Amino acid sequence: MALEVELRQVDNGVTVVAPTGRLDVAGAPALKDAIAEVVKIGPPRVVIDMGAISFVDSTGLGSVISALKQVRASQGELRLAAPNQQARVVLELTTLDRVFPYYATVEEALTGF
Amino acid sequence: MRAHSAFEFRASFSDLDEGLGILHQSITRLRHAIGRAEDDRPLMLFETALGEIGSNVLTHGRPNGTERPVEYALSFEGGTVVASLSDSGSSVQEHLTREMPAHDSERGRGLAIARSLLDELGYERDGNVNRWRLVKKL
Repeated sequence: MALEVELRQVDNGVTVVAPTGRLDVAGAPALKDAIAEVVKIGPPRVVIDMGAISFVDSTGLGSVISALKQVRASQGELRLAAPNQQARVVLELTTLDRVFPYYATVEEALTGF
Repeated sequence: MRAHSAFEFRASFSDLDEGLGILHQSITRLRHAIGRAEDDRPLMLFETALGEIGSNVLTHGRPNGTERPVEYALSFEGGTVVASLSDSGSSVQEHLTREMPAHDSERGRGLAIARSLLDELGYERDGNVNRWRLVKKL
């Protein structure tokens, strides 16, 4: 199943990017495209809602790193929310949890953002 | 006499998305066959490693013009799961010991992830074929 990505604006101007499916070598381009759309609008504050991502591989993780670079290059900020157990393992194993402190829920990620 | 495996699955595929889907489906079937929970950690770690090697095989193992599909087999016996994958890409011998790259790198983590999650990651160059063997005690 190709990754489907939904974008939604929340009240404080943050964009929530919500992919559904596998964030892997087949799904990663869809996330990159979605982030490219978001940064066109202006300095972005972005939460990637990982709650509906069933599986993450290293290429999918690469697309999150790419997203972080794009957002920072636009003077924005990126937060990750609701990764499942498998995604947390991959983040910790690669020590990328030090680069992407993640939040248990989207609501927590939005607090004070 | 060789004992029967408690679980066996075989498939061949060529398409990236279809192939990755089959790999994950095979783990779901194994999970049901051996009565493991949805959040079983050892099986999840094996699936993560399988996703990395499967991704490599499906993206680099099928050079333009190749007609040979990727061959995949999964078995479980005596508490150990074994997956084998073969492809007709170029040799990856020189990449096998690659370490985890820096945080800002967008690629190059797959083999390091797979190595760290498995009890054994076997690789053999057999003529023009790459043969992978992934082993983990569950």
